[in-house]
Amino acid sequence: MKAGNIEMNKSFEPKILAFLCNWCAYAGADLAGVSRLQYPPAIRSIRVMCSGRVDPVYIIDGLKSGFDSVFVSG
Amino acid sequence: MELVRYLLDLSGIGRDRVQLRWISAAEGQLFAKYVAEVTNITQELGPFDPKKFRLPLAAVEQTLNSTRIRWLLGLTKQITEQGNVYNEKLKDKDFKKLLQQATEEEYQKALIIEVLKQSPRSVREMAEKTGLPVYTVSLRLNELERCNQAGLKEYSGSTPIFMGM
Repeated sequence: MKAGNIEMNKSFEPKILAFLCNWCAYAGADLAGVSRLQYPPAIRSIRVMCSGRVDPVYIIDGLKSGFDSVFVSG
Repeated sequence: MELVRYLLDLSGIGRDRVQLRWISAAEGQLFAKYVAEVTNITQELGPFDPKKFRLPLAAVEQTLNSTRIRWLLGLTKQITEQGNVYNEKLKDKDFKKLLQQATEEEYQKALIIEVLKQSPRSVREMAEKTGLPVYTVSLRLNELERCNQAGLKEYSGSTPIFMGM
């Protein structure tokens, strides 16, 4: 159990909540995927119709539900 | 966005837990770069334990939902660009200061409300729980009492015990 914990700490995989604007960042992410660019698998994305749609409270909710950080992109 | 980061700093969570980046639809490479960047920042910060920050998180959420902050944010343009009926405008710098001050006060009030939700307490206990100075607690408590959000429950000896409404 202890050894497992240490190993977990070593290779800490952050969980990042990403709010992506449908028209900008989401399309950018799509393009990154299509052109096979490598990027870390840490993000869990939520597509929003506009990054102005992201209420500050959502960010706090994200942290509350156990994400390590929140990434807003538009 | 700036306000959320300011609040996270206030509450000891740290502003770097929230990141904002602008990417256009044609910039896949930039996206990959930013994701790597954000991942690195988060990795340096280490895991986030929401249980440890339960109280500050609840207070931050309450602050962001508070009428005062919502109004101020909504009126930003009007206050800094259009001016009021006397054509008085606030400079961006002054407005920012005002907003930060209001946010700090609301955050302190929210902390007190959250602590009082758990059980009625004396001022000294509240100060201990929230980590605020005793004087600040009594100032905010006074404001809360005026808005009927907190009130006197009883006296234990000569110490007043307050409760949330």
